[in-house]
Amino acid sequence: MATVQFKKIIKKFGDNLVLNGVDVDIKDHEFVVIVGPSGCGKTTLLRMLAGLEEITDGEIFIDNLLVNELHPSKREIAMVFQDYALYPHMTVEENMNFALRLRKMPKKEIAARVTEAANILQLNKFLKRMPKQLSGGQRQRVAIGRAIVRKPKVFLFDEPLSNLDAKLREEMRVEIAKLYQRLNATIIYVTHDQVEAMTLAGRIVIMNHGIVQQVGSPIEVYRKPCNLFVAGFIGSPTMNLLSGRLSIADGVSVFFNESLTLPIPAFVLPQKEARDGREVVLGIRPDDVLVEHPGGEKCSSKIEGVLEVCELLGHRENLYLKVGGQRLLATVEAFFNRSPGSAVSLCLNYQNMHIFDKVTERRISE
Amino acid sequence: METLKSIYEVTWFILLVAAGVAVLIGYLYSHFKFYSRSWFFPAALAAFPLLALAVFGGLLGGYTFKLWLYFLLAEAAIAAFFRSVVKGRHTVPYLMLAPAFVGLALLLVYPFIFEVYLSFHDLKLTTIMTWKNTGTLPFVGIDQYVKVFTTSPLSETTFWHLLLRTLVWTFSNVFFHVLGGFILALMLNNHIKFKGFYRTLLVIPWAMPQVVAVLAMRGEFHSTNGFVNIVINKLLAVFPFLAGLGVAPVQWLTDYPLLTCTLINIWLGIPFMMVVILGGLQSISSSYYDAADIDGASYFQKLRFITLPLVRPVMMPAVTLGTVWTFNNINVIYLVTGQAGGTEQADILVSALYKAAFTYNRYSYSAAFALVVFAMLFFFSVFYLKSFDAAKDER
Ligand SMILES: Nc1ncnc2c1ncn2[C@@H]1O[C@H](COP(=O)(O)OP(=O)(O)OP(=O)(O)O)[C@@H](O)[C@H]1O
Ligand SMILES: [Mg+2]
Repeated sequence: MATVQFKKIIKKFGDNLVLNGVDVDIKDHEFVVIVGPSGCGKTTLLRMLAGLEEITDGEIFIDNLLVNELHPSKREIAMVFQDYALYPHMTVEENMNFALRLRKMPKKEIAARVTEAANILQLNKFLKRMPKQLSGGQRQRVAIGRAIVRKPKVFLFDEPLSNLDAKLREEMRVEIAKLYQRLNATIIYVTHDQVEAMTLAGRIVIMNHGIVQQVGSPIEVYRKPCNLFVAGFIGSPTMNLLSGRLSIADGVSVFFNESLTLPIPAFVLPQKEARDGREVVLGIRPDDVLVEHPGGEKCSSKIEGVLEVCELLGHRENLYLKVGGQRLLATVEAFFNRSPGSAVSLCLNYQNMHIFDKVTERRISE
Repeated sequence: METLKSIYEVTWFILLVAAGVAVLIGYLYSHFKFYSRSWFFPAALAAFPLLALAVFGGLLGGYTFKLWLYFLLAEAAIAAFFRSVVKGRHTVPYLMLAPAFVGLALLLVYPFIFEVYLSFHDLKLTTIMTWKNTGTLPFVGIDQYVKVFTTSPLSETTFWHLLLRTLVWTFSNVFFHVLGGFILALMLNNHIKFKGFYRTLLVIPWAMPQVVAVLAMRGEFHSTNGFVNIVINKLLAVFPFLAGLGVAPVQWLTDYPLLTCTLINIWLGIPFMMVVILGGLQSISSSYYDAADIDGASYFQKLRFITLPLVRPVMMPAVTLGTVWTFNNINVIYLVTGQAGGTEQADILVSALYKAAFTYNRYSYSAAFALVVFAMLFFFSVFYLKSFDAAKDER
């Protein structure tokens, strides 16, 4: 139904630069998730799109219409706030139809839309209640209901699940995914929970310090993080990041530090000559640290390590390993029957290896 | 010497009060502590009635056996109450509350009971000497209450007329207090420069002693030297056509005393409402306004659907208080119009009541009058707060 474009968006609160040149194009009927650590400007960006916050510089287009000076109600957007912002003195029904009443929509139509939304969100029983008589999850659904009765072009969700407990959050996540398929609208969803980001998003926008770090599908940002921040931010448990240096020995690129020397095949790192002598960070996800693995073509040769701690998660197990002075986290199938202190052999999966320049923090591997 | 004597008297009084409080606390403490002992009941019955007789006997009509019997019965009831109901629980809170409660009883409960007593008897200029000499007053039943509604407390104005005037006075005052307070609070709630400075300025009339404020304002309404008439004269000099519209200096204090009082009291009362409403406005989360913006509410729609309902909880008690204060506001009326030879045109119920008591010396009549006023305000407040509670329960 609608496209959204951010063009070189800059936002300052006084001298505090909060957003620094945000450029994102959002396509029609796309589910875009904005993630980033707390305070990186996600809410601010949403509020600017909604028209609740002045735009210091740059342009925002909705459906190719410049909306910088447009009143929030004219932008045909709906926002679900981080704290829900349900009107405390109105019933659920009144909360949901407030916007429609203001527009003087015919009563019949209002009732029809509220009933429809209440059906989708299973709120029928609560229509006559006051917000304070609802649980967190129910309030959450009312807030969403208030957004969908208006049939907006773009939905904005600001960390809608952050106040819910883990189980409810999972349920609501699925509800939102269903809602998206049903509503056929553009959704922009802010969160700092990366599970939400990975599961819901069509595309993820990763932000840090008011700068967009990477935009891509969940798989892209997981498989090919474009810089160190994204590599460390996406994925759970966090990626192992090993500092070291590159050199060329016998025509092969080699990564080394005090604890580890690792040949890097050409399919991981092209242009090996240009990288000679650089300080780099090597990233490898815990899943790609293969323990007691027969090895193979796409794997590094065996490395000897010591098992420090095991953490059983159920079907998986986290192994905290030490190779020389270097700590490594590996995730393996349960049950890894070794006692802490025993020696293990491991190898690193070249296929999912990331190498970043230490200075620019940019990705230099394939 | 005079000073020394005053100090001596004050010290003596303080010591007396302290001793009273100490005795009271000891009395309560013994009941809390020993209520269950077998010896306590007879001991208390023996000691406390005699003590009370010794202390209060002189005041309450001689050291008679009858009085001692009353005290004995009271003590038996109190001791039984402590034994079967209180059972030594909540000792500390009750002990802490006791002095304040005694103070309240002396300052409020006793005068109130005395007022009720007066209202059923006949105390006035002609009977006051008999009262002084014999200590008894003629009992007249509800005669005084009948008189409240049938005769006039003043020389010209009847009770019903006064009541109507009081209602108009109260309503117009409270209405403009709330309106003015609301508008000012809305303006102060914006991001404006020097907000604290404006707020301080606006609160001054409220912070000043009312007598000073009222007398100063009264001066401004003086017919020749007051600010108001001077401004009107200057305006007429600059814009002569205003005279054609009927604008002219006014004898405020003699021709429009009630209007003058109302203007002064509105000026005095706005700051309180402003402060209360401003507090209410500041407690409204801005996210409601954000949501309303997105929902497409205009400024006035936000005012009506968000601001008003959400400041109502703080406004209602303030309006109730303001209504009672205004209804009972003798200061402004008396200070503006009440001096010797003053007019009756501005009198409301309480100022008429004051005149009936202290100018016309009709004490019993005024007592009944005051109780009628009290009953009106009491039922108003109860009704108002009840309806407010009901509204609150709804949400
Ligand atoms: N009204 C304001 N005035 C000044 N600074 C502000 C204001 N609102 C936000 N900021 C600052 O802007 C930065 C970004 O805030 P924002 O609320 O957008 O963060 P966020 O990414 O939504 O964080 P979170 O995940 O904690 O909600 C923060 O450093 C914050 O301190
Ligand atoms: Mg936020």
